[in-house]
Amino acid sequence: MKHLALIVILLMMTTQIEASAKGAYEIYQKDKSKSRDKKIAHELIDGSFYFSAIPYINNYLENNNEIDAELEADIETLVLKTGTMAVLNLEEKRLESFNNPSISLILGTRLFAKEQNTKAYEILSRIPDSHQFSAEAALIKGTIRNLERKNIEALNLYEACVNKSTAQENSSKGEKLKRYYNYLKETCIIRSARVNIEEKKYEQALLIYEKIDKRSYKWPYILLDQAWANYYLKDYNRTLGLTTTYKSPLLESYFFPEAEVLTALSYYNMCLWDDSLKVVDHFYDFYKPKAEALKEILGNNKNSNNYFLDLYYADSATRDNLNPFIRNLVTQTRKQVKFNLDLSSLKAAKDELALLKRLKNKNDFTQSLEVNLGSTIEFVSAKINYYIKKEIFTFINEIHKHSFSMFNLKLELLSKKRDDIYNAKALEENTRERGSDKNVKRKTSHYFFDFNGSFWADELGDYSFGLNSACPVSKTNE
Amino acid sequence: MNTKISLHTLVILTALFSSIVLAQDEKKNIVYKYKEYEVIDLGSLEIKGQIMAPGDLTVNERERQTFKRSLLEKQNYDFENKREIENLR
Repeated sequence: MKHLALIVILLMMTTQIEASAKGAYEIYQKDKSKSRDKKIAHELIDGSFYFSAIPYINNYLENNNEIDAELEADIETLVLKTGTMAVLNLEEKRLESFNNPSISLILGTRLFAKEQNTKAYEILSRIPDSHQFSAEAALIKGTIRNLERKNIEALNLYEACVNKSTAQENSSKGEKLKRYYNYLKETCIIRSARVNIEEKKYEQALLIYEKIDKRSYKWPYILLDQAWANYYLKDYNRTLGLTTTYKSPLLESYFFPEAEVLTALSYYNMCLWDDSLKVVDHFYDFYKPKAEALKEILGNNKNSNNYFLDLYYADSATRDNLNPFIRNLVTQTRKQVKFNLDLSSLKAAKDELALLKRLKNKNDFTQSLEVNLGSTIEFVSAKINYYIKKEIFTFINEIHKHSFSMFNLKLELLSKKRDDIYNAKALEENTRERGSDKNVKRKTSHYFFDFNGSFWADELGDYSFGLNSACPVSKTNE
Repeated sequence: MNTKISLHTLVILTALFSSIVLAQDEKKNIVYKYKEYEVIDLGSLEIKGQIMAPGDLTVNERERQTFKRSLLEKQNYDFENKREIENLR
């Protein structure tokens, strides 16, 4: 019975698809009016040929200024189904003339990427508060105010983003949409915490971070933020505990060179020069060969339009043969929203092409749709390939940036060690108590576990070291 | 006449030879002696002129210059925030 229902649904869908393609072909042949492209696009969208509809929507918008209710709904569907591809061929100047929420979101995002923040803010403000894209618009607008150091406005916008995305999450029916709005909500919560860190309100920031669930996709990223807040609160043991969490096998695909620098800095502030030096030396041993290997891969394949995308599709054994580090980097990249959206766009475009090829009545119209779709698939593939390449490039730059920080720290450490020798200061490293519960600062919201040499998922993020500072005790009260 | 000259020459040559031998013997026996040391008493020397430099040399005490290297600080999250937006769409 179930199979029969499925077959009936499939038959109905196929009939509708065929009818839409036929309808579009008829308009293509007979209609000579100004709105021909709009009508063709509408027919194609009705038949789920979203990517095929893009050139017709773009052609219409290039030459016409009016957007009626039907076209507005079609544009929104296209944005949801194809992302920023919907109005890809239109220039910013042209897009600016439309007061349409979907177009405003795409244009605002484009302008933000080009650092035209004032214009981007203005365009994004056109999106009504009740619209489904308003949460995302509030996030970008908050980021703009944050960059301008207008923190009160930024906090208000982030709060609005949290409220709007919570409402959208509750009202959405699809699981994917719910996940997306949850992602937006958590991003905006984290942004509020970051503004507090920037304003040196570290305790307040740590309280906000506690709102993020440990199972959340965003959670591994906030460990580093929390570590910085604790560092500025001079709770170096807690900082060390948080950065050590990245050593857990569960988080092996997350690597932040900055976390290594923060670990070394925490030891440094506890006057544990040798511990700090060990972290510095480990940083160079660990990251240098990886940076060189990645640089070589980038250099050898800089002109390829598919090498990095193929890496994503390659099985883990193939990736390991090339460089074990690549596997983790690709894993981290595939967790990005943009990457997933582009990848599902690529899959949808390929499915659409297969659908076109299966159509019974072939003609010059369907032929041109196939050619256009082929170019779209090529473009999306190159776009994803470029994205992975850029991620690798950014990662190499991060390593280089933090190598410089580590170099400065090493010089400081050697200088401190030399001073100790000049001052004949006995460090007594071996006899010093390495750790004690007495040195752990606790709060009511903290859990307490003993670390027995293995990481447990429910303990992650709650670690604290119990090291005693080796710095001379100041006689004056701070 | 010839015999007279030859005799005269012989006498002169003999006298010359003997004086050279005598001179060589005298050279060998000369011993030169130098002073083993000499004391110069500077205190007794008087220098005429005007003293331009201060009587004693002093160095002002100051703290030793230490070069603070810039260690990593987290002033803002601009880089992370921008990347997050870029990774959205």
